[in-house]
Amino acid sequence: MKLYKKEGNILQIISFPTESAEKGDYLLVEDQDAGKALIAQVIDVQFAAVPGVLEELLRTLPDGGEPLQGEDIDPMEIAPHITYIQDASLLICKIRATLENEMLSPSSSWLPSRSQSTIKKLSIPMLMKLAKIDGKLPIILGGTKDSSLLTIDASSIDGTLNIITGKKGCGKSHLSKLLMVNLIGYKATVVIFDLNGEYSSLGMTNDGKRNMYYDKIHTLTPSQNFKVALEQLHLNTVMGILVHALHLPGTSAREFRQLWKMLKEKGKLNMHELGEAIRDLNCNQHVRDALASRFHSFVNSGFFTDCLGEATLLDESFLRAKEQGGAIVINLRNTSNIDRQIVVEYVLGKLVDSLSSWKLKAVFLFAEEAHLYLRETYWDDIVTRMRHFGIFTTFITNQPDTIQENIYRQADNIFLFNFTNEHDLDVVSRAARVDAETVRSIARDLPPHHCLTLGKVVRDFPIVARVRALDIKTMGETRLFFSG
Amino acid sequence: MVIEQYTITEKYNFPQPTIDTTLPQRFLEQSLYSLKQVQHQPFQLNTQNFQQLNTTEQYPSSLQLKPQPILIKPDRQETLIAAIDTSTIKIGETSTGMIIAIRGAITWRQNRAYKYTRLGPFIFHITEENKNQVYNALERAYFCTSYGGSHQAAPNIMQMPTRLASLLERWLQTMLAKTVNHGVLLFDGSLTSGTIDTPAQRMREILSYARRNNSTVLAFSKATTLRANGILITEQLPNHEPPYLLETTGIHFKPPIILLGDVYVARLNKANFAFRLDIDKEIPIPQRIEAIQKLIGNDLYTQSYPETLRLSHILCTFTANEVLAMKHFITRKHGIQLINRPDMHKLLFGPFGKGEIYA
Repeated sequence: MKLYKKEGNILQIISFPTESAEKGDYLLVEDQDAGKALIAQVIDVQFAAVPGVLEELLRTLPDGGEPLQGEDIDPMEIAPHITYIQDASLLICKIRATLENEMLSPSSSWLPSRSQSTIKKLSIPMLMKLAKIDGKLPIILGGTKDSSLLTIDASSIDGTLNIITGKKGCGKSHLSKLLMVNLIGYKATVVIFDLNGEYSSLGMTNDGKRNMYYDKIHTLTPSQNFKVALEQLHLNTVMGILVHALHLPGTSAREFRQLWKMLKEKGKLNMHELGEAIRDLNCNQHVRDALASRFHSFVNSGFFTDCLGEATLLDESFLRAKEQGGAIVINLRNTSNIDRQIVVEYVLGKLVDSLSSWKLKAVFLFAEEAHLYLRETYWDDIVTRMRHFGIFTTFITNQPDTIQENIYRQADNIFLFNFTNEHDLDVVSRAARVDAETVRSIARDLPPHHCLTLGKVVRDFPIVARVRALDIKTMGETRLFFSG
Repeated sequence: MVIEQYTITEKYNFPQPTIDTTLPQRFLEQSLYSLKQVQHQPFQLNTQNFQQLNTTEQYPSSLQLKPQPILIKPDRQETLIAAIDTSTIKIGETSTGMIIAIRGAITWRQNRAYKYTRLGPFIFHITEENKNQVYNALERAYFCTSYGGSHQAAPNIMQMPTRLASLLERWLQTMLAKTVNHGVLLFDGSLTSGTIDTPAQRMREILSYARRNNSTVLAFSKATTLRANGILITEQLPNHEPPYLLETTGIHFKPPIILLGDVYVARLNKANFAFRLDIDKEIPIPQRIEAIQKLIGNDLYTQSYPETLRLSHILCTFTANEVLAMKHFITRKHGIQLINRPDMHKLLFGPFGKGEIYA
C-alpha cells in the first residue's frame, strides 16, 4: 500500500490486489522518521485512476458488440502485472487518531511521509488494545472480520444515551437483548418497553428450557399481571397520565385534583368511588363529561383495579431487580395506543419517583419504537432531566427519523445496522459522535446481523462486528401467511 | 541460452501447415539476456512511443495521379481479411542504454467476427554493448528460416526499437503470407523496400508466399508524403461517389529503394478521408480490384480505413496501464530500481522547458 493523498482528515491510499482491504478495516500509516503513525479507517474502496485503463477496456469492444475474441501469446508473462495494475484500488480512509509513544490523540494535523511511510492493516485486537477498549465488565458484542471479538465495557454504556437502529430484520432486537442480558448479568436494573412481546422469553433457551436469567426476567403485561390500584398511585403520576396521555384540559385537571384529594382524605381512593364522585360532581357539564370520558378510558384499559390483591407493586419488582439485577419487561403487545401511553406514563412516573427517592440507583431503559408511546416532551426529558435521575435510555428503531434530532446530537453510542435509504442515513449521520461519510459509506454495505458500533463504547473508533448469537428463545417473529 | 519456464504457445486460429516459432523464441531469449544485464542498475522512467516513420521515402517529382477513378463495388463473398501491426515503446533509460518493449498483433475477420492473436510484449534492455548481439541473434533467427544465414550490422541504438519492431512485423507478415489461402492481407505502411529494416529480398519473399497462396497483399499508409503537382495525393480527390481508387504513375525511387507495389489512393466511403494504398505489382489488375472489393465487402471501414487493420494497430499499441505493468515487471522480476532523474529542460527553463521531444 502507498500513501497517495491527504485532504483534511481523509487519506487516499493506493492498494494492490494482493493487499486486500475492505470498508471498515483499520490501517496504520507509520512514519518512522517522525516517530508517529496515523490510524485511519477505510470508508470506501474505489478503482484507482490508473492511466490507460479506459483504452484497455475500450479496445476489447471494437464495434460496441461482443468482446473481441483473441489469444495473447505473452511469453514474458506480463499480463498478470497488467491485471495487477488495473485492479489497483484507491482506499478512501478517515483518519481516526495519531499514535505517538503508544498514546492516541485525535489529531490529524501532521503529514506523514508519502515515500517513506509504511502502511499495514491494524487488527481489531491491536486497535482495541491501543484505544483501551476493554474494562472490568466486558460485553462481547460479536466477531469482527479478522475473527477477533469485539468486547465493550458495560460501564461505557452506563450513564449514556444509546441508539440501536437499522432496517427491519437486520438484528436490532437481537443486539438489544444481548446488551440487556449482559447488563442483567452485571446486576443492573433494566426496564424494557416491549412493543411486540419479544423480550418476555429472555429467560428461556432456544429449546424452551430455563436459562440463567430466568429468575431475573419479570414480565408485566398490562391488564393481566400488571394492574394498579389508585391507592398505590401518586397524584402526580395520575395527573401525568390524564394530562399527557389522555389530554385532559387544565380546568378539568384542577377539578380532578380536588376530587382526588377529597377521596384520599376519606380513604375511598378506588375506581368505584372515583366513578361515583365524578358522576355526582357538581360542576360545569363539560368538565364533568371530560372527567367521565377519562374515567372510562381508565376502566377500559383494564390497567386499574380496586382489588389490592390483583394490583402489582412495581416497586417490588424494582427492588428485586435492584438486589440481584433483573429486567422488568413491560409487555405492550396487544395494548391499544391510549392504554400504551397510560402504562408508559405510569412506569416512567414510578421510575422517577423510585430514583429520586434513591430506592433505585439507576435504570437502563430500553425503548422500542418509542415514538409509538412516548409523548413529545418526554424526549427532551429523557436525555436531560431523567438522565440525571439515573435513567439511561437505549432507543431501538427501524425508523430513524422518528427520533428527534436532539436525541441524535446527544447520543453517546450508536449501534448501526444496514440502511440503504439515503434519507435514513442522513438522519443517523446527524449524531455528534459520527461523521456522515462513515455512516453513509459503511452502513449501506453492512450485511445482515452486522453492526457498526460508534461512540463512547468503542472510544470513537467505529468498528463493524457480526453480532454474536444468543441462546435465547426467539419471540416477536413476524407471523407469515405462507409459513408451514 | 534458453530459460525453460518461458514457452511460446504454438497455436493460431487459422489454417497452419507449419508454424515456425523460432523468431518469437529468439525474441524471448534475447529479451531475457538483455534484461539480465540491467539488474541492480537504477533506471530513469521515460516513456516514449516510437512511430515507424518511413524517413527514407522522398516523393518523385514525376508522380502523377490519374484523374479517372477506378470504381469498386463490395464483393460479399466470404473472404478472410487479416492484418498485422507492431508497436514499440521506450520504457526508460539506464546509465548504459534503454529499456524498450515490442509487441505485434494479427487481427482477422472471419464469419463476421473479429479475432486476434497478440505476440508479446517483449522487453529488451538495449546497450551499446549488447545491441549487436541482440540484433544479430534475431536476424540470424530470421535468416535461419528464410535465407540460411547472414549477418547484418546492428543499427544505431536509437533506431533499435523500430528495427526490432520491424523484424517482428516482417516475421508476422511472413507467417500470415504462408498460412492464409485466398485471403486479403493488410499491411501497415507501404510496399517500399530496400531500406535497412525492410530488405527488398525479404519483402519479395513475403509477397511471393502470399501470391502462392492466392492471397493479395494490400498495404495502407496512414500518412503519406507523396505529392502530385505539389499537392498530397490523398488530398486530390475527384468529385465522385466513393468507393473508388485513384491510380498513380511515374513513381521511381533512387536505388537501393525500390517499390514492390503499385501506388493507389483509396477512398472507401463517404468519410472525407483517403489513404495511400500499395498493391503487390505482380498481382494482375483484375485480381487487385477483386481483392479491394472483397475487402470492402467483408470488412468495416467507417473512416475509409479497414477495421481489421485499425484493430491490429489498437491491439498492439501500449497503453499507459501496460507501461506501468511492464515497469512493475522489470522491478519485481529483474530487481531493477526505478529512479526519477530531474528533467533538465524543466529544471533549466521552468515552464518554458517542454522536454526533449520539443527541444
